[in-house]
Amino acid sequence: MIVQLRVDDRLIHGQVALVWTKELDTPGIVVANDNAASNEMVQMTLKMATPTGKKLLIRSVDDAITVFNNPKGKGMRMFALTNCVKDALKIAQNVEDIEGINVANVGRFADKSEGEPIQVGSTLMLSPSELDALKELDKLDVPVFQQVVPSNAKVSITNLLKNK
Amino acid sequence: MKKILIASHGHLASGIKSSLQILTGMTDEITTIDAYVDEHDYVADIKQYVEEIGNDPAIIFTDLFGGSVNQKVMLEVAGHDNIFVVSGTNLPIVLSVLLDEQELTKSHLEELIGMSQVQLVEVEPNDDDLSDDSFLS
Repeated sequence: MIVQLRVDDRLIHGQVALVWTKELDTPGIVVANDNAASNEMVQMTLKMATPTGKKLLIRSVDDAITVFNNPKGKGMRMFALTNCVKDALKIAQNVEDIEGINVANVGRFADKSEGEPIQVGSTLMLSPSELDALKELDKLDVPVFQQVVPSNAKVSITNLLKNK
Repeated sequence: MKKILIASHGHLASGIKSSLQILTGMTDEITTIDAYVDEHDYVADIKQYVEEIGNDPAIIFTDLFGGSVNQKVMLEVAGHDNIFVVSGTNLPIVLSVLLDEQELTKSHLEELIGMSQVQLVEVEPNDDDLSDDSFLS
């Protein structure tokens, strides 16, 4: 089961490795990202960032969905990470067992080919297609929120999307 | 939560606190002293900090062993067995102490320091990749 699906364009980094894995008590971390799944250098940096004692799996988004739906993983507490809203939406539409979706940090490294990104929250700057994906995500029957670190309050995405 | 003071020459102390705030959001118990950035006598700040701590457990991080900030701190904490002083402070050691949940003893602190050393990072792709099955088992 996915305890938290986090959208974070830094994937595994300080906030995730040090604070969230402890807070969520998840022995397994799954990075669902097509680029990481095919790039050895990216895999190396993600392995460096993984805390001792945690298992890391790096898969393309499609292969990660297969893992999340594997009956063997039903009892395993997993922390899932994508680096964009679209990938998270695809997972949420194809996986049943997700406790919550945390849209935490998105847009800092985004390409601006679709034009200037739209500021949705302090750490969320979304391209028009990412914003559409977020609206779709928020319609699903899973809590969708923003919480950068556990000491921040959860902000509902529905509220952030008002007037967008 | 344990009390932490970081004291440095210049803005390293407040800089470390700024990094910790981004990484953890848990900096309420951290006090900083940026020494020599103005004419202010920071020794009074150290004195006041030590007084306010009383008998609570605390740890003071200084930047440089033997530096004046470290010397001033040592003079003020002499006789206070509840306050540890660490010099050569880097971000990992403050982070380790901040996130640690065990009681802070001398031996445990030495253990945390051992895990927080600077290190040479080398590029070495490894192929210890997990299969789906071994990940899920």
